Amino acid sequence: MASEAVRGDQPYDERVVVELVPVLRRVVGARIKDPHTVEDLVQETLARLMSSSRRVDPDKLHQYAAVTARHVVATYAERNDRARNRSHLLADPSDAPPPTEDLLLQEDREFVAAALERLSAEDRDLLVAHEVQGQDTTTMAAELGSTPGAVAARLSRARASLRVEYLLAAEAIDPPSDRCRPVLRALSSSDRRRQRELDASGHLLECETCSQLADRLFERRGQPAEDGVVRVPVSRDADVVTARQQGREVAARAGFSTSAQTLVATAISEISRNIVKFADRGEVAISLVTEDGRQGVRVVARDVGPGIADPDVALRDGYSTYHGLGLGLPGAKRLMDRFHLSSVPGEGTTVTMEKWLT
Amino acid sequence: MPTDVPTAPHVPLPASILSQGPNLIVSIHAALDDEQLERLQRDLLERVGRDRCRGILIDVAALDVLDSFAARTLADLAYMAQLRGARTVVVGIAPDVAMTLVRLGVRIPLTQTALDLEEGLEWLGT
Ligand SMILES: [Zn+2]
Repeated sequence: MASEAVRGDQPYDERVVVELVPVLRRVVGARIKDPHTVEDLVQETLARLMSSSRRVDPDKLHQYAAVTARHVVATYAERNDRARNRSHLLADPSDAPPPTEDLLLQEDREFVAAALERLSAEDRDLLVAHEVQGQDTTTMAAELGSTPGAVAARLSRARASLRVEYLLAAEAIDPPSDRCRPVLRALSSSDRRRQRELDASGHLLECETCSQLADRLFERRGQPAEDGVVRVPVSRDADVVTARQQGREVAARAGFSTSAQTLVATAISEISRNIVKFADRGEVAISLVTEDGRQGVRVVARDVGPGIADPDVALRDGYSTYHGLGLGLPGAKRLMDRFHLSSVPGEGTTVTMEKWLT
Repeated sequence: MPTDVPTAPHVPLPASILSQGPNLIVSIHAALDDEQLERLQRDLLERVGRDRCRGILIDVAALDVLDSFAARTLADLAYMAQLRGARTVVVGIAPDVAMTLVRLGVRIPLTQTALDLEEGLEWLGT
């Protein structure tokens, strides 16, 4: 973040901006046909870039400009039904199959082509056969010696991968690690087993690129995932409030009394603050759990941060006050029934805590 | 990858500060995050100096969580206001919140507290 803001209040050099015009024309032109509209939207994008309060590293400026242009086009598309019908590819995380055929016919076919290129040959053939050549799943199943259901499932996974590759191509993003693509695809296809295998949420904590892409693929903030886990990304003060409010709601659903809800919410407040203060970012995951017929709430707070060298010492009263941690960890421990802290110096800290209905 | 989300300007505090005679009556309407709590603390200390207040009454009945940071910020406020000649009373701590503060182990002297607004004003001596 810091490197993007170094240039302070200095306006962009005009030449830098002029150089952007062809880039913007290409990005906007790929989505809009009417040349006058293209020009209007390019100008609007330039105006936004000039008035932006943030100064971006020159080597990231093209990428930033492309993203801004896409936002400008998206805003324009909202005012335009016809265009909106075509911009659903990225907005649609549900099972409703995106009409890929339409996509291939439309403006961003170059991105779709680039995206298809990145898929496995099998996936690509499936998509082309179904979406372009119009083969139905029964015919395809017969040819492949498979069942229509299995073909439909593979198609759905291929579409999910295509969504990821389309996003990467359209925004000219090169994923920084080998784990990125598998994780993004598992997220896009809502394949929870695969997400667990890959430790997808762990990767999202470490990888800024994927974390932002995942936000684009889905609205993640404070949304319950399908398996009933409420995940709240935590990186700033306001997130602490969101996390504890979500915690109170889950506790209320578990049937906790208002005073027990307050204990849970307060404990979450304490541990989320530690993330904001001592790590770049993290996540609080809140879920309902059952054990021996008892209902409980489990909170897992993970961060990517410096870690804690000696958790036992950190949990001692007095230590934390002296080191500026306030009553955070030992306080939260006292409010909950179970509390476990594990930390790898240089990597991060995970706090797992539970409260059970009595 | 940069996004085009501009740096958020300061959202107004969900709290009202009213002058009533020599006192400031502060009503908090919704949950405050740490930055907002610190901002409230600063604003109030500034008002104490500017308006020559003798007392501050803070109504926290709307807060469903008072964690260690909030408690300490209020306690620090009370201490600093006292150094500048004003007394502070915190009113409206909900029973659940009070119980949680005790369990949390908040042992910092949490200033003067009163059950409600009337009692708080009485203590301030209006
Ligand atoms: Zn990644």
